[in-house]
Amino acid sequence: MASAASKLYADDVSLLMVLLDTNPFFWSSSNLPFSKFLPHVLAFLNSILLLNQLNQVVVIATGYNSCSYIYDSSSDSNQGSDHGRIMPARCSNLLQKLEEFVIKDEQLFKEGSREGISSSLLSGSLSMALCFDEQIYRGFFDQGHFILNLAVTMHAMQILCLQGSSDGPEQYVAIMNSIFSAQRSMVPIDSCYMGSSNSAFLQQASYITGGVYLKPQQPNGLFQYLSTVFATDLHSRAFLQLPKSLGVDFRASCFCHKKTIDMGYICSVCLSIFCKHHKKCSTCGVLKLLSVLYALCFGWVRRITT
Amino acid sequence: MSSSSSRRVVKRVKYKDAVKNPGTPGVLTMVENRFVFKPNDPTSARMLDVEFRHIKGHKNTKEGSKQPPLLNLSSSREGISYIFEFQSYPDLHECRDFVGNALSKATETAKTASERDGVTFPDEQLSAAEMELRMKLLQEDSELQKLHMQFVISGVLTESEFWATRKKLLDGDSRTKPKQRVGFKNSMILDTKPTSDGRIFALKPAVHQAFLKLVPIKMTEKDFWTKYFRAEFLHSTKNAATIAAEAAEDEELAIFLKEDEIVAREARWKIRRVDPTLDMEADQGDDYTHLPDHGIFRDGSKDITELQNEQYRRTLSQDLNRQGAVVLQGRTVDGDLEDPENVAEALMRSRQEPDEGAVQERLDRITRMNEMDDLREPRDHPVAQLCIKDPRDYFDTQQANALKTLDDSRIGIEQKKCSMTTEEAYGSLRESISKIKSIGLKNSTVESEIALTVLNGLTQNISSTKYQLGKNPRESILDSLPNRTKEELLHHWMSIQELLRHFWSSYPITTAYLSTKVGKLKDAMSQIYRQLEEIKESDFRHQVSLLVRPMHQALDAAFQHYESDLQKRAARSAEMPNGNA
Amino acid sequence: MPQVRIIAKNFMDMVAALPAMKLDKLYENAFICEAILRSLPPLAKKYVLQLLCIEVPVTAKSMEEWVLPDGVSKHRVAIDRLIQLRIFTETVDRKRETTYTLNPIFQTNLKKLLVHGVVLPREPMPSNITVRLPSLEDLQAFALEQWECFLLQLINSSQSERPSNISSSMMKTFQRGLLSQRDREAPRLTDSGFQFLLMDTNAQLWYIIREYISNSEERGLDSADLISFLLELSFHVTGEAYNINTLNERQKNIIKDLADLGLIKLQQGRKDSWFIPTELATNLSVSLTDSSSRKQGFVVVETNFRLYAYSTSKLHCEILRLFSRVEYQLPNLIVGAITKESLYSAFENGITGEQIISFLQQNAHPRVAERVPSVPENVTDQIRLWETDLNRVEMTPAYYYDEFPTRELLEGASDFARGYNALLWEDVNSKKTRLVVKAENHVHMREYLGRQRQ
Repeated sequence: MASAASKLYADDVSLLMVLLDTNPFFWSSSNLPFSKFLPHVLAFLNSILLLNQLNQVVVIATGYNSCSYIYDSSSDSNQGSDHGRIMPARCSNLLQKLEEFVIKDEQLFKEGSREGISSSLLSGSLSMALCFDEQIYRGFFDQGHFILNLAVTMHAMQILCLQGSSDGPEQYVAIMNSIFSAQRSMVPIDSCYMGSSNSAFLQQASYITGGVYLKPQQPNGLFQYLSTVFATDLHSRAFLQLPKSLGVDFRASCFCHKKTIDMGYICSVCLSIFCKHHKKCSTCGVLKLLSVLYALCFGWVRRITT
Repeated sequence: MSSSSSRRVVKRVKYKDAVKNPGTPGVLTMVENRFVFKPNDPTSARMLDVEFRHIKGHKNTKEGSKQPPLLNLSSSREGISYIFEFQSYPDLHECRDFVGNALSKATETAKTASERDGVTFPDEQLSAAEMELRMKLLQEDSELQKLHMQFVISGVLTESEFWATRKKLLDGDSRTKPKQRVGFKNSMILDTKPTSDGRIFALKPAVHQAFLKLVPIKMTEKDFWTKYFRAEFLHSTKNAATIAAEAAEDEELAIFLKEDEIVAREARWKIRRVDPTLDMEADQGDDYTHLPDHGIFRDGSKDITELQNEQYRRTLSQDLNRQGAVVLQGRTVDGDLEDPENVAEALMRSRQEPDEGAVQERLDRITRMNEMDDLREPRDHPVAQLCIKDPRDYFDTQQANALKTLDDSRIGIEQKKCSMTTEEAYGSLRESISKIKSIGLKNSTVESEIALTVLNGLTQNISSTKYQLGKNPRESILDSLPNRTKEELLHHWMSIQELLRHFWSSYPITTAYLSTKVGKLKDAMSQIYRQLEEIKESDFRHQVSLLVRPMHQALDAAFQHYESDLQKRAARSAEMPNGNA
Repeated sequence: MPQVRIIAKNFMDMVAALPAMKLDKLYENAFICEAILRSLPPLAKKYVLQLLCIEVPVTAKSMEEWVLPDGVSKHRVAIDRLIQLRIFTETVDRKRETTYTLNPIFQTNLKKLLVHGVVLPREPMPSNITVRLPSLEDLQAFALEQWECFLLQLINSSQSERPSNISSSMMKTFQRGLLSQRDREAPRLTDSGFQFLLMDTNAQLWYIIREYISNSEERGLDSADLISFLLELSFHVTGEAYNINTLNERQKNIIKDLADLGLIKLQQGRKDSWFIPTELATNLSVSLTDSSSRKQGFVVVETNFRLYAYSTSKLHCEILRLFSRVEYQLPNLIVGAITKESLYSAFENGITGEQIISFLQQNAHPRVAERVPSVPENVTDQIRLWETDLNRVEMTPAYYYDEFPTRELLEGASDFARGYNALLWEDVNSKKTRLVVKAENHVHMREYLGRQRQ
């Protein structure tokens, strides 16, 4: 059923994109403080790199105003000795970059622009992660390195969203588009949601792309969740049963008020979703239409139109 | 065994209640309006005699599937279906076509009946071909046929309304054809008069060059063409010796008589630019010209002339190739085509043009060929088909959503505004980062007890989902229902979709026609609504109500819209009592 | 797969075969832990990570809960391997419940790796010392050249351009099993030798290293020491120079041998000597896994028995020469033809048709590898047919007896031989009395005839 599972992976070499939520508003109110959360993640990244020399990890920070690549294990300079340091060199690099990112993210902040729900720019970082995939396709042929060539033959990319802040309905369309392109390129999106209730976006993302959605019940055991569930490479997923979330929230957001709705009106031309009946579609400008009313779930919408 | 007349089909079959049953062997006879099954064992009670008008749909197994050839005729009476196993697929196909015809005929008679006594609707005039296409579509898809029966024949929708939403199905094979370029007529000129469309020039570059050189400086146009046709005449005599003699005497005539130097050069050039991966050397052995029937001369004779006159010989194949090349090249000359001089000059201009671009294109093509297609990775990345999996999954998730219910009510609590200011929030985040920097990852490893509880929790989750969903994780509530209820529900869902589509596309209501249509649709929908209620009262109340809920919601919304729109219109007509009728 | 047979059991089996004491001692070194973790099958890696933080026994049942029906065999393999390597300790308690515990030394070392990072075995040359180091490309070229030279020498001592320093006794041990030496004849490749050539570089390297380790005891080296040193070496950084004085005497000796194989380049500085690990050395720990034995194929076989090999390697050319007629050699392409004659010479060398076919299939160029079959059927069939052609005559060593005094004796003898199922031929009708019996039964025949004579 998972689309990603249909692709056969020859081995356990994997490329892991980690989307790290750095929304300050979430972390300042979270049960698990950021200073306790991050070490788990760093240890997890280390363990992924430990498992296979060819594994690659890329970290993208998802901020409130921006998102950015903050770490790529392939660009690690020849790993020197970590002798006498308190943590591996790659972690201190990552922390350095992360700090710079947070400062930049704050500078982008315009006072008063913060309103309502303070969600992170998940759509941006998802797109960045998918673009990285494309870069890989192109980039690999430039490097004559013969170890890297091994990885080209079957590289298995997976995305892991470490998200805490709640969904931003205004990003609905962008996130949905990212999800569909991930599905199309057979990239599973795993999500580990740290917030208090479930994230409908991430549930849908994981459901559609065949990834795993998990909301840790014990946040202080995060590393155990990460290493038990999310460290499973795509090759092994064919043999293991991973936690399956029941009750995916398929509700969509309307385009007009960005509200999450159960029922709505869909433009029969461009499939825009509205919570009220309009005379004219504000997305594509079609008159008269906005006709079909359905219980909204992307599954249905697509079925009707195809 | 089968009778030759299409009015009647007789086949040896096995009749079954269910696919898995062994079935009763017997003979199936189909006539115009009914089918009869007689078991081989006369004592068996399983005799059938059913009229086609009681049959509402048919399904059959696909050829090539592992299943035996089965035909399933479902009756309009609840839950009854007749399954026949045929001895071969051809038998099955014959019967299926017969059933398809019979059913559409039954439909048609019903329809004509309804049209006769019903209101005349604005209907387009259909050609026989279109009618046939619709019939075919209905025969191929029994679901569609069911819908068609249900709505068109009962008069809820008109024929044209029904098909209006399925335009895509109807114009499946109309395709736009590429525009054609104007070219030469593909007729050989072997003995023509000097046509002025430049054809001779295009065909024979040497003549073209000679024309530019000689006319009008050395000779008049008339003299030129006279000479040309004299040369053509000489060729037609096939006497190479005479040709050689004449050529020796007359310098200008020789131009026409010799092999076209320019064409030959082009040919050589073409050989040179042949894709280097083609092995021309290898073809050398394939020289067939010495064999009989190769190298036919242009008028069919095959006499052998002396070798020294080789250059005055022209073979049919050469001429044909040249002709073909010119025709394919098309007419590149614009402007006045009446005057041969103009034509000649224009042609010269157009010849010179394709230099840079053409060379570049050729190089591109060569490099593309050189890539050795079969040794490359496929150019495009592998992609999955973008489609949603089984839409029935939706029902599952709806069920789970209904079960967890209260979880969502917490959203409100979570959305509590973070009381911190922006600076404070960012400040604390930065502080956390520097804190990690100073103490390292010491507290990253989880304590053994917590790790164990987490692992046990996850393991429990996995085993519980395994048991909850049974062995097959894809098993859904829909599958847990008995077949009859399931089919009924799916059919209702299809009908609701169809009706809603028509319902919403009729708004806003501008004509009286639309208003009656909406009324009819609404009645049909409320009928289905009641039927759904009835199903809900059946044994599987809990499961069914979960499935029915979204359908009811959709219908409710439609009714609500209908009522409010009705009120609005009533109010408007009250406002202007003298509204233009 | 023939590949597996020659590696016999791979390197990890050697490690697993070490006595428990030595194995536990190995795990004290964090590198070894990392190398061994990487060598595990994917599922086993996951299990180790899963139990990394758990210090109490975990029941086997709870681990099996996660396994899908398709994965049961893989799960079994993973668990077995973990127990073999003593990473998991299996205990069965009174209630007959099986539980696993992670090896505590292994566990602590891995945890340390995660939290504190890698501590390299030795520091590279400080940047203030100016020694011209070879570029990475040069180093790779050096390694490959050295390795190919070694291989050429291994299979055909006369072919190699310059003799390497590897002692002939060492070479002999490497050649053992790969070449068969008959009296006064040039050594010939055995079928396992042929298979050896068909493996990729890393697998070959491991074969050689394995041989090297297994006779290390003869040279007075401890195999556990050697293993740990080799694994340690693989964690050095390619292209960096390390001071040779950081090694002990024994290791210095090993280093010299490794340099001949191309694993290490030695460089003499003004004051100190340095050693620079090449890619071959740093890949040692990577290539432990089965997965890395995959490589790009290069051979295209056409239905007309022509063979195109996109390769620049002289070694590949030599391999192809074993069973085909090489016609042209272009800079990156070898064109050959599979002929009856070329195959016969291969069969004479003890290479079987199946081996050739599997070589062609396993090294099929990626574009033809996608097709089924990757090698045209008419070619594979013909190779098999030609091979069976050779087997029309069966050779059986036998003894020939004649001049029997009486017909009775002849008949008795032939009956006796028949009793052993050893009678090959008898000539009863002619006056000459002749008998041919399998050589292995000669002793019995002699005894019988002796008895009859009395």
